Amino acid sequence: MEEQEMSKFVTQQAYIDGKIKALSKMIPQLKIIHKDAESLVTTINHISESSEKISGKIRELDTAREKVEECQKRVSDLIDLELCSQGVQKAIYDEDYEQGAALVHRFLSIDQSVVKQTASDFEKVAGLEDAAQKNLQTALNTPAGDKRYPVIYADTLTLLYEGVARMVNVHQPLIETYYGPGKLIAAMNILQKECDNQTRRIVSEFCKTRNMNKKMSQINEISRMSSSSSFSKLEKTDPKDLDVLIGEMTLMHSKIELYIKFVRSKVMTDLDVGISDLDERSKNVDKLEQLIKNSQVSQSKHELLGYYLRMEQYYMEESITKAVNLDTAEQGQHTSSMVDDTFFIIRKCIRRSISSGSLDGICAIINNACRVLESDFCNILRSKLKQGYPSGYLDLTQAYNVLQSSIQQGRLQPGDTEVARTAFVVALNNADSCTYYVEALCDRVMLEIEQAMPAMKENDRGKLESCLSGLSSVTATLKDVIEYGLQQLRASAIKPRVHPWIDSFMNINHEMTEDELSAYDAGETFVQTLIMNLESLLVPFKEVLTPSNYDSLVGVVTNEVISRFEKIVFKTTFNRLGGLVLDKEVRSLAGYLTTSTSWSLRDKFARLTQIATVLNLEKVSEISDYWGDHDGALMWRLTPSELRNVMALRLVLERAPNIKFIRVCI
Amino acid sequence: MDDYKFLFKVVLVGNAGVGKTCLVRRFTQGLFPPGQGATIGVDFMIKTVEVEGEKVKLQIWDTAGQERFRSITQSYYRSAHALILVYDISCQPTFDCLPDWLREIEEYASSKVLRILVGNKIDRDDREIPTHVGEDFAARHNMYFLETSAKEADNVEKLFMQIAEDLMEQARSKDLPRYDTSTANIDSRTSTIGDSSCCSKLI
Repeated sequence: MEEQEMSKFVTQQAYIDGKIKALSKMIPQLKIIHKDAESLVTTINHISESSEKISGKIRELDTAREKVEECQKRVSDLIDLELCSQGVQKAIYDEDYEQGAALVHRFLSIDQSVVKQTASDFEKVAGLEDAAQKNLQTALNTPAGDKRYPVIYADTLTLLYEGVARMVNVHQPLIETYYGPGKLIAAMNILQKECDNQTRRIVSEFCKTRNMNKKMSQINEISRMSSSSSFSKLEKTDPKDLDVLIGEMTLMHSKIELYIKFVRSKVMTDLDVGISDLDERSKNVDKLEQLIKNSQVSQSKHELLGYYLRMEQYYMEESITKAVNLDTAEQGQHTSSMVDDTFFIIRKCIRRSISSGSLDGICAIINNACRVLESDFCNILRSKLKQGYPSGYLDLTQAYNVLQSSIQQGRLQPGDTEVARTAFVVALNNADSCTYYVEALCDRVMLEIEQAMPAMKENDRGKLESCLSGLSSVTATLKDVIEYGLQQLRASAIKPRVHPWIDSFMNINHEMTEDELSAYDAGETFVQTLIMNLESLLVPFKEVLTPSNYDSLVGVVTNEVISRFEKIVFKTTFNRLGGLVLDKEVRSLAGYLTTSTSWSLRDKFARLTQIATVLNLEKVSEISDYWGDHDGALMWRLTPSELRNVMALRLVLERAPNIKFIRVCI
Repeated sequence: MDDYKFLFKVVLVGNAGVGKTCLVRRFTQGLFPPGQGATIGVDFMIKTVEVEGEKVKLQIWDTAGQERFRSITQSYYRSAHALILVYDISCQPTFDCLPDWLREIEEYASSKVLRILVGNKIDRDDREIPTHVGEDFAARHNMYFLETSAKEADNVEKLFMQIAEDLMEQARSKDLPRYDTSTANIDSRTSTIGDSSCCSKLI
């Protein structure tokens, strides 16, 4: 039994082995099949994708077919129309009115607008070309004497763009009706090509007729010859000759700008209405931007702007050079003509750039104006101030010496002093009035640009403001120039005169008795003489300097007087009455100088006043009323050691026994 | 939000298509816009960064590389504190044009301007200009040098931060001395004039 089973198993084993072998042989096959199946899946996926694509294509085809059908219908309508009109004529001719009426009825049943559209589609592009050709021809034939001759190319561009705009306006409703909204961009695409061609033609004619290439290379040549300074050119094209041409360029540029704006807004509104899907819309907006960016119109625009900027820069630099060379100072005027002229030119150039309608153009002109003002113009002012202010004659000998040394240094000719002085003062005033002009220019320009471009983007505004802020660095440079001039003045006209006046303080005895005091008061006191002298120094300047320059000058004089006075006081010794005199004199000096200006200079006198106060103390111990942390205490400008030194000026005399107390006190 | 201690103008120049706009976008907005069209005129971006605890406002002017915009872009050189000259390491002609750009910088920019040479697009494997060639050029012309990739954001942050730091240091160290030198000039002049008047007083 068991054996039987065993042998059965054995035979089965062989069988099972065989099966297993067969199975293991099948495994690779299965793998292959699996792979095949996978590739089948991908193939099917592909097929489904492509069938979807195909069905998409078919859908497109469907729409295309619809359009073709529409077209066929239109054609047959047209044929009908032809037949009708022929038929009606024939009917009228044959006096077969019934037939005629039937034909008229059939004509009326044809969709009128379709007919119109067909007609206009044909006319559209062809008409544009014809009209543009004709306009350009007229432009070329315009005699040079014609009133519009200087701007004839701008006029031609205007006509072209007006034509395109009219066409767009007329056809937009038709396109919307028959092709649906959102299709204007396609129509624009076709139209733009023709418009591009015509623009290119007009601009190249413009360049040819107006000799642009020659003029540009001339300008480049000139600026290359003297790139270091724009104020020393050799041979020149008169900037005035370019005036009209520059005007025409800005006009042309603004026309193109306007046209692009028109196209953009038209297409955008059409897209906004016609395409609700945001993705689709933004895709179309990109298409529009590409269309505009790649169009010849844009290219021509940039080309014109480039020409314009180079010429305007040349115009600005040359005109300012001219203004500087023709500079005249009229009697009784603080400033000379070059300031007014220069700012007039700069305003004109910036205004013109605004009229071009290009923000980049405006910014570039502002940048150029900053450069011309800050480097060239300020350098001219500075070099005039560098000549210095020929110092006044303290006495004849000195005047003679100053003159001699000046002549030896080749600085000036005898007799030129007055001229040189006026030149110096005028340069100083010019710098000062320029700061106001710059400020006013900045405000006006901003205002004008805001008016010209009401819908400025935030980023554009930032750009503009940044460029305008360049003008404020011009102001800073001008302030430096003024400071430089004042220091020149201080060195040559103030210091040498003020010092001897103050030094005479030492000639007066400040350890006086009551009698001496009243005698001193009765005569001409030191401060009276000083004020008189200062008055004689300042008065001539008051007339010739601008108010703000005069104020600065008084400030410089005050500083000089105070610092010298302080030094001299420390070289003098005082008793109580001497201190009293000093206190009075400092007060009246401060009073005089403060009333001389519109700013308060009293603060500058703080130290000197305090010195006088100390020297004027009744008793040395009174210092404690002023010194310390209590309510009556002063804000001291003197350091404790300085204060001790001041007190010593009196204590030396009085030999106060309580000096030690004071030492402790302070 | 306008509380910054320093404001610097940085101007990028270089041939069309070397990736100036991408560098600026990467730095200011942190993105890499593919298929960017050519820049028209100049673009203007602002980013405020912090250097040593101070806010520094960088005004970045991204100029068009195309020749026809030159008269616009040139007008920005003068007020620049830093000029970044960019070339494409995978495009020899953009490197060959560098001398022309330098000439232009020489002509229009301030002599004190900080100049940086940047080889962009190091993510590309078709490099044509080896790093040391760029380095040599920069060293010869006294410029900083850096290779960047706007796409991979390599060294972009470093580039602008380095500029901000350098400019700040420059501003801090130069501000006072510059003022001092100008007054020193006047002073020396004053003293000579003072001397002569002193002599005449003796007579």
